[in-house]
Amino acid sequence: MNKFKSMLYTAGITGVALTIGGCASSGERPDSDLQSAESSLQQAVAADARKFQPVLLNNAQNKVADAKNLIEQERYIEAERLLEQASVDAQLAGARADTEKARQAVEEINQNIESMRNQINQDQ
Amino acid sequence: MNKRNITLGVAVGLSVLVAGCSSTPTENAMVDEARASYTKIKDDPDVARSGDRQLRSARDELSRAESLLEDGKDTVLIEHAAYLANRHAQIASEQGERARLQEEIDSAEERRRELMLNQRSSEAEQARKEAEMLRQRMEELQAERTDRGMVLTLGDVLFDLNKADLKSSGERTIGRLAQFMREYEDRRVSVEGYTDSTGEESYNQQLSERRAEAVRDELISQGIERRRIETRGYGEQYPVAGNDTSSGRQQNRRVEIVISDEDGQIETRQD
Repeated sequence: MNKFKSMLYTAGITGVALTIGGCASSGERPDSDLQSAESSLQQAVAADARKFQPVLLNNAQNKVADAKNLIEQERYIEAERLLEQASVDAQLAGARADTEKARQAVEEINQNIESMRNQINQDQ
Repeated sequence: MNKRNITLGVAVGLSVLVAGCSSTPTENAMVDEARASYTKIKDDPDVARSGDRQLRSARDELSRAESLLEDGKDTVLIEHAAYLANRHAQIASEQGERARLQEEIDSAEERRRELMLNQRSSEAEQARKEAEMLRQRMEELQAERTDRGMVLTLGDVLFDLNKADLKSSGERTIGRLAQFMREYEDRRVSVEGYTDSTGEESYNQQLSERRAEAVRDELISQGIERRRIETRGYGEQYPVAGNDTSSGRQQNRRVEIVISDEDGQIETRQD
């Protein structure tokens, strides 16, 4: 009875351990992910994402902050995932800000051309 | 009994394992979304040109998400890969759009440059035409270019001897000047009377003033505003010929009309 009970436990624990091992090994400290997320954030800010994409930029910043907490708790796998997401969020914010600026530039130059045309027509 | 319980234990362990790492297999909304994002742009030439790196990452993450899904792996892992795939596709899409806009900007800049060139040359052409027209009009007036600007000289034939009334031929000449002044509204004139040295100097001074005023009055009667006309009498001063011959004296009896520049400035006699 005792013997078979302990074997049952062992098997159960093995299963649980496998579960944990399969899905959430503690892994390595995601220092390089933190670095690249932060540099993506900086680039997004430099591209005026603060002005054009404030919500997405904030999300990315919050993810980095959350990831830092997770790192302190040594929950590296979760932290790494958040950092990977923060990085692409920031890149998207920067890319959208760039397109928005280009869109404005197109509008500006077209208006410019339009007023030059009007001017020329007036002169004639 | 023993064996059965062991089997049960292993089964429990395995089922925990399986339940821990997989949920609904083969279908996942986030993977679908990522696939849709990727499919939308994978053949876009602008994206291919400018977002190729992100496009490749999108493809890699998408196939990772799909194989995780296929293998029945943990939803968190699948959706994480799908999230990254979707974002990479979105970034690639923005980069393609950005490149398209940049092309638009470049061609618009080109158009603007051409317009500016056209405008500049048409302005230059316009200015050249105006200058040519002015030159012709001055020629018609028989105005001469001098140090003081364009000067129109009315000989004494416009006035009877010792009279200050314009003859009708004088009125026609003044009519041409008035026409010119109506066309060139910024121009002003200085009307200056001169006499020969025959007779009293004070009389000649007055005569020159009266003749200048007669010309002014004629301009006014032809619709030119008084403020655009100055008059001066110089009497015997500034002869243009000797007073010892009758033809010299005739040349000295004259009215000169100095036409201002386009700012209305007239150089007054300094000497």
